[in-house]
Amino acid sequence: MIAKLIKEAIPSFAWINQSGKWRTEVFAGFVGAILVIPQGITYAYLAGLQPEHGLYCAIFVTLFSSLLGTSSMISGPNTAVAILIGIAVLPLAGRGSPMYIDFVFLLCMMVGLVQLLFWLSRGSRIFQYLSPAAISGISAGAGFLILLASLDSVLGLSTFNTTFFYEKLYVIFSDAPDLVNPYSMAIGITTIAGGYIGRYFSQRYFIIIAIITGYLCGLLVAFIWPQPVTELEYLGRMPLQWLPFAIPAINSDYLMSSISLIPYAIIIAFVSLAQSLVIVRELKMETDQDIDLDKEVYAQGVANFLAPFFSGFVGSGSFNRTRANQSLGATTPLSGITSSGFVLLLITFLGPVLTYMPMAAMAGTLFILGADMIQWGDIKHYARVRSELVIYLCTFFSILFFGLTTGVLLAVFLSVSVFMGRISQLELKVVKTGSGTQLNVKGTLFFATIAQLTETFHGHLGEDLTLDLQYTTHLDQSAVDFFIREAGNMAAHGARLTLLINDKQGEFLRQLGVNGDIKLISVGTG
Amino acid sequence: MKICQFLFYCFLLLLTQTPVHAQQAQPGIEQLLKETFLDDYYSNVVYGYQIVTNTQQHASRYVGNKLNCSNCHLQAGTQKEALPLNVAGMYPKWRAKNGQRNGIGLRIRECFLYSMDGIMPPEDAPEVLAVAAYLSYLSQGQVMGAEPEGRGVPTLPDTGYDPNPANGRSVYQDNCASCHGQQGEGAAGIPAVWGLDSYNKGAGMSRVDMAAGFIWANMPLGKGKSLSHQQALDVAAYLNLQIRPSDPRNSKFFKLLEHLID
Repeated sequence: MIAKLIKEAIPSFAWINQSGKWRTEVFAGFVGAILVIPQGITYAYLAGLQPEHGLYCAIFVTLFSSLLGTSSMISGPNTAVAILIGIAVLPLAGRGSPMYIDFVFLLCMMVGLVQLLFWLSRGSRIFQYLSPAAISGISAGAGFLILLASLDSVLGLSTFNTTFFYEKLYVIFSDAPDLVNPYSMAIGITTIAGGYIGRYFSQRYFIIIAIITGYLCGLLVAFIWPQPVTELEYLGRMPLQWLPFAIPAINSDYLMSSISLIPYAIIIAFVSLAQSLVIVRELKMETDQDIDLDKEVYAQGVANFLAPFFSGFVGSGSFNRTRANQSLGATTPLSGITSSGFVLLLITFLGPVLTYMPMAAMAGTLFILGADMIQWGDIKHYARVRSELVIYLCTFFSILFFGLTTGVLLAVFLSVSVFMGRISQLELKVVKTGSGTQLNVKGTLFFATIAQLTETFHGHLGEDLTLDLQYTTHLDQSAVDFFIREAGNMAAHGARLTLLINDKQGEFLRQLGVNGDIKLISVGTG
Repeated sequence: MKICQFLFYCFLLLLTQTPVHAQQAQPGIEQLLKETFLDDYYSNVVYGYQIVTNTQQHASRYVGNKLNCSNCHLQAGTQKEALPLNVAGMYPKWRAKNGQRNGIGLRIRECFLYSMDGIMPPEDAPEVLAVAAYLSYLSQGQVMGAEPEGRGVPTLPDTGYDPNPANGRSVYQDNCASCHGQQGEGAAGIPAVWGLDSYNKGAGMSRVDMAAGFIWANMPLGKGKSLSHQQALDVAAYLNLQIRPSDPRNSKFFKLLEHLID
């Protein structure tokens, strides 16, 4: 076991031998870097941090998770995670203040630790129960939250929160002349329009087109009207360091105040891992990459744990960047590693240009990304099966009304309970034979399914019963207790219970003290 | 009757004896810097102090030149007659500069736009909130709404002569150039007084009366008030003629139009 863990903990670099086309990988990394820069900045904004923290996340989380991982998945800043960081830390300190950053770093370390615990306890198996409908629902809900958050910057509002989202929309519409900054709105709408028009020309680079349109529009506005008139918010200079070492503040005071962060740390760890593993599983199914899921969990955990030491925050696998990466033909972690290097290079040279990037243009790209996460095709797809549609809609609406945390928990609860409901159904087939009644039992025999069996037993009271357990996948103690009790009951009525079992089940039954009331017939090896 | 009088005197005694609610002494900035954990207010005060003393590092997002706040707000904004920062009680107040009532937030943001020749941070930027917290911290003990002693820079009396830039040049060469450089470029720890690394034409310091008052009261550093009023005015006029970033309030578009029409 320990040897296996150590083997997983050491980066394999198995991909070095298989990558014959490093030029493809490097180009994919370059495109990934261009895509991640606006995302890193906007997600840092969502998390309530300075933009450079988002870029550090795009550099170091990507680097570590690709170095230790086995797939071509691109990790880095992620919307849902960023929103959750903002929700978690905001009650403790003011947005972006030094204390806020300390708490974010502490939270990130906790998330990394929780993910490493997931890795050690093989807890990542739980993500197999998260149904695709729930994941789509979470993604759509997060998309809607992003849309709302982006409105603040697109319209130049100072951030305000209302209990429910429709109140915010109502306030914006009813007080538009007082609240909305027309210059900001013009830039934001130009950006969004640029993105949607650009999509007709290039599916892959439309975000870049959108942001360049917004930037040029911002320059034009700044050329005509000075900043004291427009009150526009600009990105400003980004003091990016090449090795931004930071030591998270860990002392008793911080730890005492951060107890309230623990539930959020667990939820963020969960959300982050869930997204990464969904991506990795898709990659494993669609490509012939040699992917080790446990190793990916380890890589995510270590990358997130180390992120605060490099002034970054927690990230996770990114759907859109991994898809772009895949469409460019990257198949190894090399693309992720080069991507993080290119971010550093690009920011070093683009920094002065980005200074006058209006935040409205940034938020415009966020609006497009958020709108993309709500897929009408998904609703149509899941509408065919009722239970899937219920999971999807419940998740989506609970995120809308009660926030992301509640939504994610509900999604997990619903998918697990639907799954539970399915496996706690026994397939019973009653066959009349010469010596009495035979019951073929298919499914899992455990405390939840016994009730169903009881009904059948009581329907055949006083008859000899033969139970065929060959296709029963699992027997638990309560099932055996049930057999013993029923066999005694039947013996009182002059009937007899016969079990057709395999060797493994026989051993288990005898171990639990099955007595002479039950006749055991071994029919095969299990 | 006597008892009544006695009670009355007792009451008076009680009144005089009741201590005026003592203002709690606040910890000094040195002490705050040593603490490992601060509450939200004091952590913001410390952040504000760091911004004021090392703007280049802690608020570099919005800074366009190579100055720090404490280059003009001497001693981290605690020195009188050198634009002290203990003025939180005076805001909101109307200012002629922008013709509107200014909150402390807008006042700080304008410093970034003009004196730091940068971009205006948003009203809720952490940097602005931190500097505002530091201003409140420094203002403890001041009377709300009243002008603190030694606010701003002294107003120089009328000397009877116009400021003379040519004379100012020689005063600059004799007294200022050894630190601020022949070309006003400054040095490590010494601010540039003109050129693209200095404040722009919209800054308060680019008004001759303001600059003269500051120079007379504080310059050369440590030997304040050694220049005559006229010398200070001359140097200020000389500085004002030098090249520096343009006023950000001027629209570049209209400037271009003006040039095209001419």
